[in-house]
Amino acid sequence: MMNTAEKQIETINNVINSTKENLKPLSINFIFWGIYVNILSGFHYAFPSLVQSSKYSAAIYWIILSIIGMLFMAYYNVKVRKTVGYETHLSRVIKIIWGVFGVSWIYIITLSFYLKNYHPVPPILFLLSLLTIMTGLIIKFKPVTLGGIFLTLFTFYLNFNPEINLLLVNIVGVSLGMLVPGLSLFYSKSSNNPDG
Amino acid sequence: MDKFLFNPIRLKIMSSLINKSQCDFNYLKKVTESTQGNLSVQLKKLKEEKYIEIEKTFSNNYPKTSCSITENGRIQFEEFFKNLIKMKNS
Repeated sequence: MMNTAEKQIETINNVINSTKENLKPLSINFIFWGIYVNILSGFHYAFPSLVQSSKYSAAIYWIILSIIGMLFMAYYNVKVRKTVGYETHLSRVIKIIWGVFGVSWIYIITLSFYLKNYHPVPPILFLLSLLTIMTGLIIKFKPVTLGGIFLTLFTFYLNFNPEINLLLVNIVGVSLGMLVPGLSLFYSKSSNNPDG
Repeated sequence: MDKFLFNPIRLKIMSSLINKSQCDFNYLKKVTESTQGNLSVQLKKLKEEKYIEIEKTFSNNYPKTSCSITENGRIQFEEFFKNLIKMKNS
């Protein structure tokens, strides 16, 4: 009977250990958004007359291209989930957190249409920083947590210096808050296991 | 002790679901190294005992089966594992 118990324990251990917590797709998300927001901000900064050609053109530029980015990444994440064949509790939590960010982003953007002198960049960056910290803490990966902390401090500084160009703020904030931590996660050995 | 989980396929299914929120049928087939028919039978038994939940959907016109562990299943599995450890140490 003891031999059977040992065998059963071994079976349980083998099955549980066969699960790899693959964090590569998460790093791809960070890298994608880091590069994508940089391109959008860079283009807007380089060609302001083109992006701001009419009253709402800049808002439309940011909203439509951001939604395209969201749909693209949602498609990528669904495809990854189908290929792997399972969803861990960790990936579910991260999915919910970033889903909430997507909803909050829509809320802030909508609010900015109705409120005068309400710029959506600072609250979006602040929210982004908090969620990046949460993600870093959940996956136990310090560069992501530090990236989030940097973004939080950066957003705090931004509130006292409203004259700063928000497109440059976007570039610096997203590069150091998402792109660098994303690349760090992508190339880290522990991207297959948060505890590894 | 829960004899129900002594079945190796059922045990592998439960071990697989314990640290995941959801598993697809094909993934469970690979983990349990069982046939489609046998896996279906064992999943049905686990569902009848309220150890797991089965969700059937369609993906690209193909039926897709996903399974997740229930609260009862989690409690039973943990109890089963504790008993195994006790047996091993006795």
